[in-house]
This record gives sequence, C-alpha cells and structure tokens, in this order.
Amino acid sequence: MAHPTESVSLQDKNYFLMRRLHSLLGLVPVGAFLCVHLLTNSTVLAPGVAGGEFQKSVERIHALGPLLVPVEIVFIFLPLLFHSLLGFQIVFNSESNAQQYRYGGNIRYMLQRTTGILAFVFIFYHIWQMHWFGKPLGGGAFELHDAAGAATGAMTTAVAIQQAWWIAPVYAIGVLSCVFHLANGLWTSLITWGITIRPSSQRTAGYVCAAFGIILAIAGMGALTGFYNYDVKSPPPVVGDGHASATSQGL
Amino acid sequence: MITMSKSFTVNIQRQDDPHGPKYSESFEIPYEPGLNMTTVLQRIAANPVTSDNKDSTPVAYDACCLEEICGACTMVINGHVRQACSALIDNVLKETTGPIDVKPMSKFPVVRDLVVNRKAMFESLKRVKAWVRVDGYHDLGSGPRVSPHEQEDAYPLSKCMTCGCCVEACPQFNDKSPFIGPAAVSQAILFNANPTGKIDSEARLEVLASRGGIADCGNSQNCVKVCPKEIPLTDSLAKAGRDTTLYKLRQFFGR
Ligand code: HEM
Ligand code: HEM
Ligand code: SF4
Ligand code: SF4
Ligand code: FES
Repeated sequence: MAHPTESVSLQDKNYFLMRRLHSLLGLVPVGAFLCVHLLTNSTVLAPGVAGGEFQKSVERIHALGPLLVPVEIVFIFLPLLFHSLLGFQIVFNSESNAQQYRYGGNIRYMLQRTTGILAFVFIFYHIWQMHWFGKPLGGGAFELHDAAGAATGAMTTAVAIQQAWWIAPVYAIGVLSCVFHLANGLWTSLITWGITIRPSSQRTAGYVCAAFGIILAIAGMGALTGFYNYDVKSPPPVVGDGHASATSQGL
Repeated sequence: MITMSKSFTVNIQRQDDPHGPKYSESFEIPYEPGLNMTTVLQRIAANPVTSDNKDSTPVAYDACCLEEICGACTMVINGHVRQACSALIDNVLKETTGPIDVKPMSKFPVVRDLVVNRKAMFESLKRVKAWVRVDGYHDLGSGPRVSPHEQEDAYPLSKCMTCGCCVEACPQFNDKSPFIGPAAVSQAILFNANPTGKIDSEARLEVLASRGGIADCGNSQNCVKVCPKEIPLTDSLAKAGRDTTLYKLRQFFGR
C-alpha cells in the first residue's frame, strides 16, 4: 500500500527521470539495435552465395574497426544494463495478479516482466557464446574471418547455433521473448509518454505494434532457421576486396 | 446447486482485530431471490451460526449508501473486488459451483473481518490536492464558466467514490511501492482541468512527476476494468504521462 516516503533517496528524487530514461533507452538504442540485428541476421537467407549477404552486412558494421568496441559499449551495453537493472527492480516491486484478474492488458503486463527476465538471460548467454568461451556451454565463437582471411561470419554463427540440440530452441525462446518485449514495450511507451490517450487510439496502436512484432518475429525466426539449416561445410564466400587483415572483432 | 437449491454457502475470511490471525468460517444461507452480499451479511448477523453448527459472532462489515455510491462496502468476492451492496447473489452464484468466497481487500490494513482502513487512499488525495481551493468565507462572486465540452470530460472523473477497487486490482499498488494509485492520479487530472482548480496544477504535476507518481504505473489497465463507476482511468493515466513530460520539459527549459 502507498506510504509516504520518509527518507528521500537519490533514486526517489530522480525516479521520474530514471523511468523516462528507462523507457527511452528501451526504444533507442536497445530496441532499434534489436530491429537492425535481426534484419541483418535474416540476410543469411538471401539468395546467392551461402552467407555472402550476411558477411557483407557484418563487414559494414565491423568497418568501424577499433571504434567498434567503444561504440558497442556506449550504444548497446550501457543502455541495456541501465534498462535491465531498473527493469529488475520494477519486476521485484510489482505484484502480478494475472491469475486473479485475467484481462488481456494484465496478461501482457505479466508477460512484459517475464520476457524482460528471459531477454536478460538470453542476451548474456548469447553474447558470451558468440564472443568468448562458447565451447563448454554449447557454442563456437563467432569469427568474421579465419586465419587465412576467408569470410567465416555465417559459418561460425551457424556452428554456434548447431553445436547442440537445445541451442536452437533456446534461441527461439530468446528471440521471441525479445520481440514480444519490444513490441509490447512500444505499445506501453506510447501510453507512458502520453501519445495514445483514448482507448480507441490505444487499440489502433495495439494493431500497429502487433504487426510490427509479427514482422520482427518472422525476421528473427527466419534468421534462426537460416543458421540452423546452414551447411557448415560449404566453402566460405568471398566478399568485397577480401582484405585478409580485417580480423577486428566485436566484443 | 446454483439457484435450484434452497440454500448456499458463504466462506468468509475473518480476523478479530488488526493484529489477529486470519481464519475462515462458512455460513449456510437460505436462498431468497434478490439477495445481495450486504443482506447476506445481515442474515449472518441475525443468526451467527456456522455451517458446522458452531456459535460465532456477527461478521463486521462496512456499509452506508447501499446503492454503490459511497464505496464503503468494497470487498473481494470470488476473487473479484467489488461493492457488497451491488453484488447480487443470483449473479455471484453463477460465477462458481462451490461456496461464495468473501475476503477483505488485501491492499489495506484490516480493522476487523471485512472492514479495512482506506486511509492510504485519502492520504494520496491529500498529496495531489484533490480539491478546488477556495480562500476564506467571503463572497468570491461567480466562478469562471465551464463549457459543456469541459463538463463532459470532467463529469465521469468526478464520480470517483474512493472505493479502492482500482488499487486493489493494481499490481503496482503494494507494500513495496509508494504508488499513489490510479484514483488519485485521475483526481489530479480532474482538478487540473477545473478552471479554478488550475491554480494548483503545478503542485499536482510535481507530485505526479515524483516518486509514487505516474511513473509507478505499469500499464496493466486493471484499474479501468474493475472501476464500478466506469471512470476512464487509463485516459487519466496517459494524460498524466503527457502532462508530466511537458511539465518537466518546461521546467528544464526554464518555461
Ligand atoms: C536469430 C537469432 C540471432 C542470431 C543468429 C544472432 C547472431 C549474432 C552474432 C553472429 C553476433 C556477433 C556479431 C559481431 O560480433 O559482429 C551477435 C551479437 C549480439 N547479439 Fe545476436 N543474434 C541473434 C539474436 C539476438 C537477439 C534476440 C538479441 C537481443 C537483443 C541479440 C543481441 C546481441 C548483442 C547485444 C550482441 C553483441 C553486440 C555485437 O557484438 O554486435 N541477438 N549476435
Ligand atoms: C532486448 C532488450 C530489451 C528491449 C528492446 C527492451 C525494450 C523495452 C521497452 C521499449 C519498454 C517500454 C517502456 C515503456 O513502457 O515506457 C520496456 C519496458 C520494460 N522492460 Fe525492457 N527491454 C529489453 C530488455 C529488458 C530486460 C533485460 C529487462 C529486465 C528484466 C527489462 C525489463 C523491463 C520492464 C520491467 C519493463 C516495464 C516497464 C514499465 O512497465 O514501465 N527489459 N522494455
Ligand atoms: S476510480 Fe473507480 S475504482 Fe477507483 S476508487 Fe474511484 S470509483 Fe473506486
Ligand atoms: S494501469 Fe497503472 S494504475 Fe491502472 S492498474 Fe495498471 S498499473 Fe495500476
Ligand atoms: S454501501 Fe455504499 S457502495 Fe455499497
């Protein structure tokens, strides 16, 4: 129940601002990254040389060279960390009652919190698998090129995903959780910021956000299927000028 | 069972004093057409004998208007918060095949049995200054004119009876959160729209934009579903979101 706040902590004092920042960061850059990332990954399905289009897209990102890691830290990891930490606090301070009051809005409220936690677990597993010690917990680390300079972006990603039978299902749950969380978060953010006020505009926004979510889910699941079915023994595609020195990797 | 049987059972969560343990008692009530939950509690008071034939005490409950106007009799019936006086037994029996389950609201301290203390709600109303300020007793002349359009927006919000249904169903209103709740947010919006009440609008926005204010709402929209007065609470919440954003921007840019 509501009680007047006796001790005004630093968080209490800036709570409104922090929640607005939480909402904003969920949309940009984190939400925007999710869109770009899933669309990039879905290029694995592009016709032509297997993984060629995907390699080109990733090369474009990696063209940032030594700037890539700082850019990723500032534009992906710090915003995600802030959103996640405050997100966990929000989850622990809420008392979901979707069992008792089974309204659509209440079920989405509960799912927003569940998918937030699932997204957190998935993203950190995913980054860890793609970049570092993938081997012990089912993974091969992502490499843009092999030692000889051949383009191995799609191949190593596919290896990571095909490493064990349970990885693709884990990815499916992770991708769908992130997509639901973003699509529903987009819908709530329109209310949070006071853009959709009346039930009729909120309903229209609901259709738009649902369509957005479905498209993003198709892109994500398409990417996953593409990597799941990718023939890891196929010869690596040759792309661009084939600059063998570009071994710069993300985190 | 349902309406065919001659009697029905009510399970009531009881508590003898604010600190006392909770316990449950069932009562067998002879069926009559047109009963409501308050009359059932009156029947129990007239003959406080439990289903297993033990002498008990009348169940304490609040009631006043008996026509869903005052909000005093709010309780949780079959897991759904509502007013006892307008909870018709014929409808309530259709919701369940077992006994009717009656509990006090869970978000407020219990005084006794089904009586709770809704002080937290009134404190929230004080925080948002849910009134029109009128200074002194002298004649202030006629107030400003209110257009029919403004009246149409204000009237639904003015129907709030501080019953507590919305906060009972709100997952964000709990011991761990200082949220003032949807009713108080909606009243702040009502008085901010009033031509005389506007004078305090900055003070109200300040409360809405601080801890316990609108940022603590999680958009589950339960409040609007359970409000017996069908108050457009989610409109008020979204307006509060918009008004606080603009207020903070004005403040930041030195208005
Ligand atoms: C279809 C499923 C997915 C595939 C195949 C996939 C693939 C990849 C690959 C290959 C990398 C390494 C890229 C690089 O180092 O340049 C990566 C990094 C990353 N992924 Fe995913 N991903 C998927 C889903 C997701 C989802 C749903 C999220 C959630 C937000 C996500 C978040 C990230 C993050 C934060 C990074 C690290 C940033 C970076 O290094 O660029 N991924 N992913
Ligand atoms: C894929 C990464 C993520 C994206 C794209 C994302 C995006 C969003 C967006 C756009 C919102 C809506 C904000 C609003 O209603 O104003 C939101 C809300 C929320 N997020 Fe995330 N988020 C992500 C990860 C997480 C994580 C890891 C957590 C940790 C538990 C989390 C917890 C929450 C919670 C609890 C809310 C609800 C806030 C509220 O009701 O006001 N999110 N998220
Ligand atoms: S807004 Fe509705 S549910 Fe909430 S206290 Fe007022 S009348 Fe009751
Ligand atoms: S919309 Fe906000 S105020 Fe209404 S029940 Fe949900 S969290 Fe509570
Ligand atoms: S007694 Fe007033 S609302 Fe029920």
